[in-house]
Amino acid sequence: MKKKIAQNIYTILVFVFLYMPIAVLILYSFNASNSTSTFDGFSLKWYRELFSDSASLNALKNTLILAILSAVISTIIGTMAAYGINKMQNKYVKSATMSVTKIPMMNPEIVTGISMMLLFVFVGVLIGGKASLGFGTVLIAHITFNLPYVILSVMPKFKQMDKSLPEAALDLGCTPFQSFFKVELPQIMPGIISGLIMAFTLSLDDFVISYFTIGSGFETLPIRIYSMTKKRVTPDMYALSTLIFVSILILLVVSNLISDKNRDKMSKKAKKITKIVVGSVFGAIALITLIVLIASAGTKTVTLNVYNWGEYISDGSEDTYDTNAEFEKYYEEWYYEKYGEHINVQVNYTTFASNEDLYAKLKSGATGYDVIIPSDYMIERLKADGLLQPLNLNNIPNYENISDQFKNPFYDSDPDEKYTVMYTYGIIGIVYNKDKIDPSDLEKIENGEAGWELLWDEKYAGQILQFNNARDAFGTAMYALGIDVNNATPEEWKMAFEKLKAQKPLVQSYVMDEIYNKMESGEATLAAYYAGDCLSMIANNESLGFFYPKNENGEYVTNIFADAMCIPAGASNKELAEAYINFMLDEEHGAARANAEYIYYASPNKTVFEDLEYIDYLGEDYELIYDPDFNEPYGNGEQTYIEYMFATYAYRDMTEENRARLNGLWEELKVDSTSFGSGIYIVCAVIVVLIVAFGVYKYIQKRQRRRLYWNNPAPAKFENTMSIPKVVAPNDNNTPNSTN
Amino acid sequence: MNEKKIIELKGVAKSFDGEIILDNIDLDVHEKEFMTLLGPSGCGKTTTLRIIAGFVTPDSGEVMFDGELINDLPPYKRSVNTVFQKYALFPHLNVYENIAFALRLKKVSEEEIYERVEEMLTMVNLRGFEKRDVNLLSGGQQQRVAIARALINKPRVLLLDEPLGALDLKLRKDMQNELKNIQRKTGITFIYVTHDQEEALSMSDTVVVMANGKIQQIGTPTDIYNEPQNAFVADFIGESNIIDGVMLDDYKVKFSGQEFECLDKGFSKNEPVDVVVRPEDVDVVSPEKGMLCGVVDSVTFKGVHYEIIVTINNFKWMIQSTDYVAPTQSIGLYIEPDAIHIMKKSEYSNMFGDYSSFSDELDRLSDATEEEE
Amino acid sequence: MTKKGLIQKAAASPHIVWAVLFIIAPLLFVVYYAFTDSEGKFTFSNIGELAQASYLEVFLRSICFAFLATVICLVIAYPIAYFMTKTSPRTQKILIMLVMLPQWLNFLIRTYSWMALLEDTGIINSLLDKIGIDPIHMINTSGAVILGMVYNYLPYMIIPLHSVMSKIDTRLLEAASDLGCSPFKVITSVVLPLSVSGIISGVTMVFVPSISTFYISQKLGGGNFDLIGDTIERQFQTAYNYNLGAAMSLVLMIIIMISMAIMNKYSGEDDGGVVV
Repeated sequence: MKKKIAQNIYTILVFVFLYMPIAVLILYSFNASNSTSTFDGFSLKWYRELFSDSASLNALKNTLILAILSAVISTIIGTMAAYGINKMQNKYVKSATMSVTKIPMMNPEIVTGISMMLLFVFVGVLIGGKASLGFGTVLIAHITFNLPYVILSVMPKFKQMDKSLPEAALDLGCTPFQSFFKVELPQIMPGIISGLIMAFTLSLDDFVISYFTIGSGFETLPIRIYSMTKKRVTPDMYALSTLIFVSILILLVVSNLISDKNRDKMSKKAKKITKIVVGSVFGAIALITLIVLIASAGTKTVTLNVYNWGEYISDGSEDTYDTNAEFEKYYEEWYYEKYGEHINVQVNYTTFASNEDLYAKLKSGATGYDVIIPSDYMIERLKADGLLQPLNLNNIPNYENISDQFKNPFYDSDPDEKYTVMYTYGIIGIVYNKDKIDPSDLEKIENGEAGWELLWDEKYAGQILQFNNARDAFGTAMYALGIDVNNATPEEWKMAFEKLKAQKPLVQSYVMDEIYNKMESGEATLAAYYAGDCLSMIANNESLGFFYPKNENGEYVTNIFADAMCIPAGASNKELAEAYINFMLDEEHGAARANAEYIYYASPNKTVFEDLEYIDYLGEDYELIYDPDFNEPYGNGEQTYIEYMFATYAYRDMTEENRARLNGLWEELKVDSTSFGSGIYIVCAVIVVLIVAFGVYKYIQKRQRRRLYWNNPAPAKFENTMSIPKVVAPNDNNTPNSTN
Repeated sequence: MNEKKIIELKGVAKSFDGEIILDNIDLDVHEKEFMTLLGPSGCGKTTTLRIIAGFVTPDSGEVMFDGELINDLPPYKRSVNTVFQKYALFPHLNVYENIAFALRLKKVSEEEIYERVEEMLTMVNLRGFEKRDVNLLSGGQQQRVAIARALINKPRVLLLDEPLGALDLKLRKDMQNELKNIQRKTGITFIYVTHDQEEALSMSDTVVVMANGKIQQIGTPTDIYNEPQNAFVADFIGESNIIDGVMLDDYKVKFSGQEFECLDKGFSKNEPVDVVVRPEDVDVVSPEKGMLCGVVDSVTFKGVHYEIIVTINNFKWMIQSTDYVAPTQSIGLYIEPDAIHIMKKSEYSNMFGDYSSFSDELDRLSDATEEEE
Repeated sequence: MTKKGLIQKAAASPHIVWAVLFIIAPLLFVVYYAFTDSEGKFTFSNIGELAQASYLEVFLRSICFAFLATVICLVIAYPIAYFMTKTSPRTQKILIMLVMLPQWLNFLIRTYSWMALLEDTGIINSLLDKIGIDPIHMINTSGAVILGMVYNYLPYMIIPLHSVMSKIDTRLLEAASDLGCSPFKVITSVVLPLSVSGIISGVTMVFVPSISTFYISQKLGGGNFDLIGDTIERQFQTAYNYNLGAAMSLVLMIIIMISMAIMNKYSGEDDGGVVV
């Protein structure tokens, strides 16, 4: 009895472990604030959010479509393959086929993902650079890694099947086809269904392989969540997970109740109801698919693929302005007025987590994007690579709204040929926790004397957050050292590296989106991040403060960046893309202001930053985001301070050599972990030694035991019929023995 | 049987999910005895065996071993070993290691293990099979390994759960002999479970016939065959014609409208009884000489004899005779007084009887799946 | 060739074509990139670069983390899988579903939840604080990364173990008990050797994803513990050094193949068997 209790306690503990994080995410899905680390009261707001978050719902729809399609296709191919492989006569062909089949199972996901990406990129280059990554490639990738699971769950059913069954069917007059569908198929159905479910599950949750093979205009839920890493993972994702969890739980409970005990006893009526329910669920899925198909096939549909940072547009959440939906509406009306014809516009809005992700996608051949919003240095690079095309400003009349000082930024300085329209700009500053920071440092900050050195202060060991991206992290070190970020010599690079290395023991973690939770909850004290985001953190935690670091001369020394809208070369619908860009600058429809309010970064748009309501909306933060200092003339007065900042501190595209140097040094910094003790290795070594010792012990023991009998002669022939030989009673221990 | 009692079951009862499997069983097993538990599937014989082995704890009643209560003693502490129905050999061990399994647990020295395993292998005629994979042995060989494995521990009692069920007929007969010999030579008490009455009769010292969770009769094979206590036992052991009769007086019974002499007494006057007549005890004579007359329904050639079905007063008799009679022929039956066995009426009385069908067949079919519990 | 024979031959062909195109060909590209430089010339320098002490440490660390995570998964999963087989078939079905259920939720989100649990000011430490225990530093430690791996891949250990154990004939367990095994001995001398195949597939299903993960280490390790997965991901997503990335992938594949081979060799060899 005691044993039973111990068993139950253990089982419960394991399940608590498995469900603890689930409980947490359910709890935070009801959080009143947008924090995912501190609970500020109960609210259903994230559930409301979720249903107005069209992009996330769209991602969910995509994920489901992908999972269903890949599961069905792989089940069909896999079942056929299992049938064929099972019938294979040649042993070697059979085992070779099976080994190849199992590769995607045995291979790490990341290797499968990159290997397929390499293939797709190669094929893309081969057929001429047309969009090679897209829905098709993810689908292929998902089918590929689903196949082995389907085959391995169907195969045993074929093996177990009574060989004479199909023969009996043939004997009774079935054709081979009929015999397969009427006799063999029902037998292997359980295998097929479990394969299908497995494939569906794997596809639904896959992130790694999709991450490497996904292309323009298509975003799955895991990818969307991952690309929220610059901003934050919003709790409506928790709400979505909670809903998914609860619906699966209900489904399981119901199916369990039906399938188990009650199946036989279940009344006809109940059976009928079950059938209706199951039927209607499948019917609904089919209907939705059909509607989607019809909707996309009906009126003339144009799609616009927009690729932007995660959480970088007003998307209708929290009753905000839904930019993409408003654009669709606006353009459809405008088009009807102009051409007297209905058109269906669909904005495929997908997101990325870093400039490098964007570049990797564009470079690897995903050229299906119409509008992209990269940052300054990346624009220089894209332009240099010929990946952008010039804009026709006649189609963008709202370009006039851009303040003059942002019309000719360094990355797009030719006044006659414009490639970009600035979307937002911002400055990196330092966010800090007033309660935890030393009073003397607080005083310095308040006097405007604080600089980057705070991030290297040993007082704050273990409380500092550093960027988990090479460019920004090296930026902080170079600004701190007074090195010109764009013209650093190899020695200076080395110095910056040493600086970061020296900081490493003080750093709590290298972060992107995690900074929100870590700063808001007080987990960390100091961090450099983008101004707008810092102010969002302050909104959630009053004790946080923010400043722009200065050098000894009292000058701001920090990064300024701009994100701008551009159209990639080979965009399929340039005119629509320009209409979109124009709409983003629009005052009348409110898109420009709504986005500025949502993102909380500085807007280069006059109609926004001069708007009194907007100024009122920002309140105190206005002075931080649009620091009046920055608009002062600088130096000889030919440029404003902000223009000077752009010219001096913005990141520029690097030479191939420097890029390699940056990545190499970053690699070295990340790879080399001084903070990491040897304890783990010792534990590992001890376990390995124990396992090996145990193995050796067993081996020796086995040898010992076999020594006595292993060389006994084998019987000449076994005789079943025999008389009992002379038997010695087992009680008699002193049996004489001749052998050995 | 003068030997002392080794196992006693007193009022043992067991039910699973509200279904009574064992209903107040009392059973004594003596030392050096070869006892067989015989009955159709679901009669509770395997459960009885599992209670003795310790795999099943009875709901009530006492299990005594050498006079000590062992109800709660786990199997691994009982000096009882089992030969399982489908052998249950350890697939990851070879023949030698399977047999040596029990000794290894006792930390016996390797040399002694070797001697005793070899001794066992010799006994079951498997010398030289030491390093064979048990999964590749034939049924009979696996059976031998299972017996050797169970006996090496020198148990006081060996339990055998339908050990020969999976073997073909010839091999079965050989193994029956071998088992009997082993039991005799080793002097270990055997408790043997089977549904095969022939096996039970030919091997056992004592046969325990069970049905519906109850013991129907305990006795020597001859007793059980010749003096069945009720219709169930009569029907289950061998072939029998069981006819409703009335005991007119001592040594006088009436059935099929005729009076017969018999050797039984002690019934009250005109008591309704079951009359058993074994088919081989009926002589076929000409109709005029017969005590009973009837028309032959069918005749089947069985090798050693003909099996004749005769209808008399709406009752189908089975008769085994070496003489051929033609169907539809009228014949007479002659029954000696010592061929008639009278039994008291019991709950089984009208369940068995004439030979319009062979209900035994159904039993055998269901035996293939046996009691899984 | 009969018509039926042709159908049978044809049935597997879509899969074979698919496998050649999308399994074998991509792997050839990995090999190609691993042995060429950015101009497409043959070179060993990518592999050579991996011999640097810092990369060697990344590999060693990944192997260690994945190994520990696998061992811990095995230790946790084995008893639970065994206890599960002791329950009624209905309960077993429900328990298996409950084990798999968390896998249906997004893995990134679940990892995020762990961050909320483990942080210094997180849920666990606030609870400890309430009952007067000093907070424990958990996030950004190697332990947190291993915990993340254990959490995410534990079900893949439990399921194969359970399915193998539930197929062990109960008579074998009874036979062992009958021959004198205590309940614990029954496990070590019968259940354990008979569940080796489950252990192997469980270990594979935990070790392979653990050694190549790149999200868990970023979120729970605070970017302090670079694993192979992180390094490979960086080569493809930020450094665009496809060649180095491919070389790393190749080495990773080889490490996994070697580990699997070792495991299969030393566990499959048990033909005679050893008890106790």
